[in-house]
Amino acid sequence: MAITRINIGPVHPSTHGVIRLVADIDGDTVVNLEPHIGFLHRGVEKLVETRMYMQSPPYMEKLDYVAPMSYDEAYVAAVEKAMGVEVKERAMWVRTILLELQRIASHLLWLGTMANDVGQFFTVFMWCFKDRDLILRLLEEASGARMFYVNMRIGGLIRDLPPGFDDRARETLNYMEKRIGEYEDFLEKNPIFIERMRGVGVMNRDKAIELGVTGPVLRGSGVSYDVRKDNPYYVYDKLNFEPQARSEGDCFARYKVRMLEMRESIKLVKDALSKMPGGDALGMQVRLILPSAKNREVTLSREMPRGECMMYMVADPQKPYRLSIRSPSFINLAALNEIAKGCRTADIFAIMGSLDLVMGDADR
Amino acid sequence: MKTERNELVQVAKSLKTQGYSYLVKITAVDYEKYLDVLYFLRNMPAGKDEVLEVQIDPADAWVPTLMGEFEAADWYERELFEMFGIEVKGRSMERLLLEKWNGTGAPLRKNFTWNAPYETEGS
Amino acid sequence: MSDLNTIVSTYLGVSGILAEIIGIVAYAVAVSILIVAFDYVFGWVERKTIAKIQKRHGPTYAGKYGILQNMADFVKLLSKEHVVPKRADKLLFLPTIPAMLALSVFLIFLIPLTPELIETNIGLGLLVILVLLSFMPLIIFANGFGSGNKFAAISAQRSVVMLLSYEIPLVFVIAAVGVLANGYTLSGIMSAQNHWWFVFLMPIGFFVFFIVMLAELERPPFDMREADNELIAGWLTDVSAPYYTLALFLDYTRMFLGSLLIAILFFGGWNGPVLPPVVWLLLKVFIISFFIMIVRATTVRMRIDRLLRFGWTWLLPLSLLNLILIYLLFIG
Repeated sequence: MAITRINIGPVHPSTHGVIRLVADIDGDTVVNLEPHIGFLHRGVEKLVETRMYMQSPPYMEKLDYVAPMSYDEAYVAAVEKAMGVEVKERAMWVRTILLELQRIASHLLWLGTMANDVGQFFTVFMWCFKDRDLILRLLEEASGARMFYVNMRIGGLIRDLPPGFDDRARETLNYMEKRIGEYEDFLEKNPIFIERMRGVGVMNRDKAIELGVTGPVLRGSGVSYDVRKDNPYYVYDKLNFEPQARSEGDCFARYKVRMLEMRESIKLVKDALSKMPGGDALGMQVRLILPSAKNREVTLSREMPRGECMMYMVADPQKPYRLSIRSPSFINLAALNEIAKGCRTADIFAIMGSLDLVMGDADR
Repeated sequence: MKTERNELVQVAKSLKTQGYSYLVKITAVDYEKYLDVLYFLRNMPAGKDEVLEVQIDPADAWVPTLMGEFEAADWYERELFEMFGIEVKGRSMERLLLEKWNGTGAPLRKNFTWNAPYETEGS
Repeated sequence: MSDLNTIVSTYLGVSGILAEIIGIVAYAVAVSILIVAFDYVFGWVERKTIAKIQKRHGPTYAGKYGILQNMADFVKLLSKEHVVPKRADKLLFLPTIPAMLALSVFLIFLIPLTPELIETNIGLGLLVILVLLSFMPLIIFANGFGSGNKFAAISAQRSVVMLLSYEIPLVFVIAAVGVLANGYTLSGIMSAQNHWWFVFLMPIGFFVFFIVMLAELERPPFDMREADNELIAGWLTDVSAPYYTLALFLDYTRMFLGSLLIAILFFGGWNGPVLPPVVWLLLKVFIISFFIMIVRATTVRMRIDRLLRFGWTWLLPLSLLNLILIYLLFIG
């Protein structure tokens, strides 16, 4: 049969952001799937070279607009590391809590869009958005903004958690735990969903390492590498959680890893809320940032909702000389062609959904 | 770990046999006098990182490809070519990855100036 | 046309060929109004109910409870430009949606809605309907290829694959219904269900028929022809607004038709106490449509090759088993 070339995107209902896929299809089988990216390329790496250090967090947040807090934090942490500044004890706990809340919010958005990609008619999508809003409300309480927080300062945060945050967070998380169970029931008790996910887009352990994928995609292929556990930062080593990994390497494994991660994050936040010390969490208003000379080159890894982000910064006084961001979506997307080869046309979208791509993150 | 670009493939190969089979990132820094190309490798289960550093002359900017060792190098090398104008020898580079513009030059080089009309061409 | 004739001649005082024509026209107008009313009301009910399932409000602004929203959409879509793609084969592309709508409406004309008007009850009614129903995927195929869009072409291919997967089980189930009712007239089938609805006599057959109908109506989980997340809108991708309005109408009209068939074949049609037969029939149709809608909101789309496998490994043996069981139990 002749090979048909179809062009998916950049305007297409399930590309979630602007990505163009050129798919060569033989009958119903995908022969080659070439992603064309760069529609959201804003040259952030160049842009931050021209800005003062603390002017950049807003740009960082726009990279991954689904989980802005994590980029905010990673960037500020890189600057802190370059300066050799210690983060205040309480600020570390608060940051951990906010990052985990952000992870839940991001995974909820992923769940909704992924369910849509496999043909769920918006039900899970709407539920997830509604529930995500509760998390956003907590983040809003903590930072003052719903979406782009710019919440981090050198050595701490812009503001401490408001009084009563504990109880409200606990209440929301208890509710969320129940809801995640409902989502799992809704989807996993549907044999069609299982059929769409299981055995689709299989990537074994060696292939995953070879392709360099990160985060839940890597853990779904049986590599239990989680920066939070293997290279802990902040207070993750004092908290009680297990990195989640599945060995199947298919879409269902990636789905399951994220669902379990949400539960782990809930556990983690609850744990952190109970162990959190009092004190001061406020950061410094630093006008002049002078990195220490021995720390001119900084490498910093963070486990973001989408995977491991590595910030490599060459620091100059006042401005970064070079900031290189290893964004998780970029490398996960690079693996798409390999994963999707040989699958059915309809599976392209299931696989895309299971990779959890944010194009702002991939294009930078 | 500093290395020469002629030995890069050899070094990467030997590191891979030692377990550094996960390529985290390939990036570069333009220090104007020379270009620093960095390869972040990781020993996956242990999570130990190794950085390969290759210094090259900006006027004669090329590195050998690591595609043979790490499939993950594909997009990073394309990005390297696009952003730093560093030619990657030993592989094909059929189209630009991130940018759709009419100008010339490598944006992340320090001497870069914008020289394209402010409109983009559909790819 | 004896019954209509008598009604018309009693009320209007005319007789002969004139009464016949008036009767036919009146019937056609009445059924058309019924179809449009169903489409409209059910469109609204579907929006509201799916909104409730999804914890939203649904339309609220246009009219009380958003009842005028569909009208607003209709007017808006009609006011849009009609674009025909240059690469489209106009002979295949343009007439197909009106043709399908006309076909659906015609099929509803063939179905007797009340016992008094059984003149629409042609001898082999069910078989005629079956044949014409099977024609629809072919029209979709023509449209998909005619539009010259690759997504539509894939949709057209899927349409044929679906036809392969469910057409034979459908025939077997209808054969079983014919065995039970001892004939293929729709009124005969309904009167055969005076005591026991066929859904109780052949649950397997109902299961198969319901799934086949979901596929036939392009309803989730078998909406791979339209598959908006995959194929943008499938065979409707290049259809511009005025024709798309027709396509929406077509969607609900086919749903009405499908629910009508399910109600007649398995739920006793117009049989029911107290209320007049036509009310019973429409009530059942509404409940079945409602159920199809709930399925839409809660399931995931199947993959086309899985449907083919499902059709041949489950639906076909089940429908055959159903036919054999019915034959052994009631004839043999």
